[in-house]
Amino acid sequence: MLFERTTKIESQETKLLVPVPAGVVGDAVDMELLNAFEELQADDETDLIVELIDLYLTDAPQRMLAIREAALANDWLLLKRAAHNLKGSSANLGIRQVAETCRKLEGTEYEHSTESLADLLRQMDDEFSRASEALLSERQRRLQ
Amino acid sequence: MSSDKFPVSKRVLVADDDPAMRHLISTIIKRQEYEVVVAEDGRAAFRILQSDSAFKAAILDMTMPFLEGLDLIRYMRTEKRLMRIPIMMITAEQDIKLMASSFAAGATAFLPKPFTPAQLQSAIRILLGNRQLRKIAA
Repeated sequence: MLFERTTKIESQETKLLVPVPAGVVGDAVDMELLNAFEELQADDETDLIVELIDLYLTDAPQRMLAIREAALANDWLLLKRAAHNLKGSSANLGIRQVAETCRKLEGTEYEHSTESLADLLRQMDDEFSRASEALLSERQRRLQ
Repeated sequence: MSSDKFPVSKRVLVADDDPAMRHLISTIIKRQEYEVVVAEDGRAAFRILQSDSAFKAAILDMTMPFLEGLDLIRYMRTEKRLMRIPIMMITAEQDIKLMASSFAAGATAFLPKPFTPAQLQSAIRILLGNRQLRKIAA
């Protein structure tokens, strides 16, 4: 979904708000979405999906650490920013549940709800563990 | 980065703090025989742009450490040597106001995440060569 400057912005509003398709909610990783990047794979290059998995599994823990550190420092702006970043990188690779948790982290008003923050951080860890397991399994399958 | 190997019109600046996204975008651009100059955050992109304007296009993430994509666009649009470079903004923010702000600041195209490989390829193709886009950017 690309928008150019000449696009009539108002008419795109409904497209922008399309919800996550049914059937993928509840899965740690939408493998169909992740594996769709195979079409960018060149024959003579390293497996692109494996590279993307490796990059994500290296980068995401650092972003989660940034979220936790911001939470400890009660720095809500930084927390929301870090959650936003992890949301983007997760969503694009089909790691929807981590992305969804980050969306909640980004949208919560923590000044009024420290309990929900703890819940969301736990949820983020759980979802990342599930996603990591699925990604590592896919990685192994591809390298066989 | 040297531009000896590639002519001025064959270089693209990619600024995104997400390594997987940088890799993905760079892969597509290189396949179209362009050289990619990568920046890991907004400040790095700004430093590159301060001394280098030889880019066919720029692809910027909206939310980056130190300097946001929107700030970079504003900077590029006020510098004579950079103002004609087509810019595509990529963001995880599905906010219609943000898209409007990007275009108001001078973005040429806007691609919200998540996107499919086909959408990304198409967006990059349009940014790098589409006649209609040239008309828009002129």
